[in-house]
Amino acid sequence: MTASGTFSWGFEFAEHFDIEALGAIVTKGVTPRPRAGNPQPRTAETPLGMLNSIGLQNVGIERVIEEFAPRWAAWRVPVIVNLAPDRVEDFGTMARMLDGVPGIAALELNISCPNVDTGGMEIGQDPEAAAAATRAAVRNTDLPVIVKLTPNVTDPVPVAKACEEAGAAAICAINTVLGVAIDIERRRPVIPRGRAGLSGPAIKPIALRFVWDVAQAVRIPVIGCGGIRTGEDAVEFLMAGASAVQVGTATFANPRAPLDVLEGLKRWMESHGVQDVREIIGAALPKGEA
Amino acid sequence: MNVAEAVVLSTEPAYENAFVTWFASEALARRREPGQFVMVHCSSEGCDPFFARPFSYHRVDGDRFALLYTVVGRGTAWLARRQPGDRVRMYGPLGRGIRLPRDRANILLVGGGVGIAPLVDLAETAVSRGHQVVAMMGARTSAALLPPGAWPKEVEYVTVTEDGSAGLRGLVTEHVGAYLDWATKLYACGPAPMFAALADVLRGNSRRMRPEILMEERMPCGWGMCYGCAIFTRRGVKLCCKDGPRFPLFDVF
Ligand SMILES: Cc1cc2nc3c(=O)[nH]c(=O)nc-3n(C[C@H](O)[C@H](O)[C@H](O)COP(=O)(O)OP(=O)(O)OC[C@H]3O[C@@H](n4cnc5c(N)ncnc54)[C@H](O)[C@@H]3O)c2cc1C
Ligand SMILES: Cc1cc2nc3c(=O)[nH]c(=O)nc-3n(C[C@H](O)[C@H](O)[C@H](O)COP(=O)(O)O)c2cc1C
Ligand code: FES
Repeated sequence: MTASGTFSWGFEFAEHFDIEALGAIVTKGVTPRPRAGNPQPRTAETPLGMLNSIGLQNVGIERVIEEFAPRWAAWRVPVIVNLAPDRVEDFGTMARMLDGVPGIAALELNISCPNVDTGGMEIGQDPEAAAAATRAAVRNTDLPVIVKLTPNVTDPVPVAKACEEAGAAAICAINTVLGVAIDIERRRPVIPRGRAGLSGPAIKPIALRFVWDVAQAVRIPVIGCGGIRTGEDAVEFLMAGASAVQVGTATFANPRAPLDVLEGLKRWMESHGVQDVREIIGAALPKGEA
Repeated sequence: MNVAEAVVLSTEPAYENAFVTWFASEALARRREPGQFVMVHCSSEGCDPFFARPFSYHRVDGDRFALLYTVVGRGTAWLARRQPGDRVRMYGPLGRGIRLPRDRANILLVGGGVGIAPLVDLAETAVSRGHQVVAMMGARTSAALLPPGAWPKEVEYVTVTEDGSAGLRGLVTEHVGAYLDWATKLYACGPAPMFAALADVLRGNSRRMRPEILMEERMPCGWGMCYGCAIFTRRGVKLCCKDGPRFPLFDVF
């Protein structure tokens, strides 16, 4: 599937490629009210990746329901809406608003956005707040609730377990890694806020470590995300315990990236005599613990 | 949008620190509008630098197209070293280009620096559709000017240099006034301070022309996926790559 915030609302891709070939798509982060996002510069290119501080620019949940959901309903590919409110209780309100809306297959709770002043990552750093957000969403909808973790913690296991207990259907790991870039001529950070979110191939080993840790600690499926660019990258995540993967920043550089990952994965499976991805999920984990 | 490998036909110096590279690719050259752009991967293998770079169509001739660029960093330096026969990955055409007026118009083009790149394509298209074109091009000094021979011969060409080493002295925006009674439409491309100065000159009398500009912003993706290229306009936040790069001057300045 595609990673939140790297695929807009899916319509651009659908205009140029076969969107039905994808396993699922995850939308940009949605907030209760429209947000204009952060000032420029919003991005900085870094070695094999980027820093971003978009600031959750989006049209707000009401227009998502009115304008986008009816268009998604015409697709067979499941659409997962990424929720990014700044207060724990709003996860409940938003989940209720989206419950039963045709065109929406699941929710992904973004408790991990580093680019806003309140909420976001703070919730994802605290197991109790993360569980409260999960509970708020789960109680208000029949849709499966995926919780997306931040890598900006030392140990993701307490948060992941708390979300599992609170009723999460799956865990997605990871969101962006906090980073800074400096403009040495102007002696200032490139991104006005200073800290921004690092993504792309540069973070792949970090993402794999989080999947590795979380997959051994929870029973629910883990969705791997971070730096995936090729079919082989996807195989690594599956072997580290992920049941599915998301392609993010790679799509910026290569519009076909989600399709290339899928085709690359199929080719790898064929050449290695693997019939079903389940054969390789967790294959690299220590025996007896997966 | 097409994802394709274009074949390099030639790379020639255009002026001080600037090059023109011609490519062959039917998928990328056909059906572009002037003012649209391509995202060019400036690496042979793999993905370093990671993102493709946006460049405007500078000239288009059948299945061939040219980019005009100044070397400012790794990507443009790499591009300037491409030899005939080399293959370069890119995707395009992207963005909203310029729709020329249907009726015959007196078109004034205002360019600063490498902002002239798309205006040559626009001038060629406009001339071929019977419009009258005056191109006012500003540069720091004569060595930083595209030779007049690069423009279609039907175009009246006015040069402005900051140091007066060629043509008129000063900034283009100090000289546009002379053409405002003649012009019925204005298109501009250049740095933001030029747009701001242009808006000041045009604000009182020339709003009727609905001047349009081609803008730049950092573009990680170029096709509306990342929301990195936001432009804050009077009509809300727009994406330079998808809603632009063409914008009404007075929506932004
Ligand atoms: C729609 C569009 C059309 C363009 N058309 C042309 C063209 O026809 N000819 C041309 O020469 N250039 C054009 N540009 C600019 C061109 O894309 C950049 O010069 C190029 O990306 C630089 O790549 P690089 O790897 O050489 O430099 P880098 O190493 O990436 O950058 C060099 C320096 O410039 C800064 N920088 C890079 N891009 C931007 C930006 N957009 N805004 C502010 N600072 C920036 C970097 O931070 C760095 O300090 C266009 C840009 C856009 C958005
Ligand atoms: C420009 C940009 C915007 C993003 N916006 C969101 C978002 O709105 N919600 C979210 O949960 N994650 C967001 N992310 C994080 C990605 O979904 C993904 O978790 C992260 O980038 C790591 O994967 P990647 O290396 O494949 O990009 C964003 C990432 C980028 C680069
Ligand atoms: S460059 Fe990514 S949205 Fe415009």
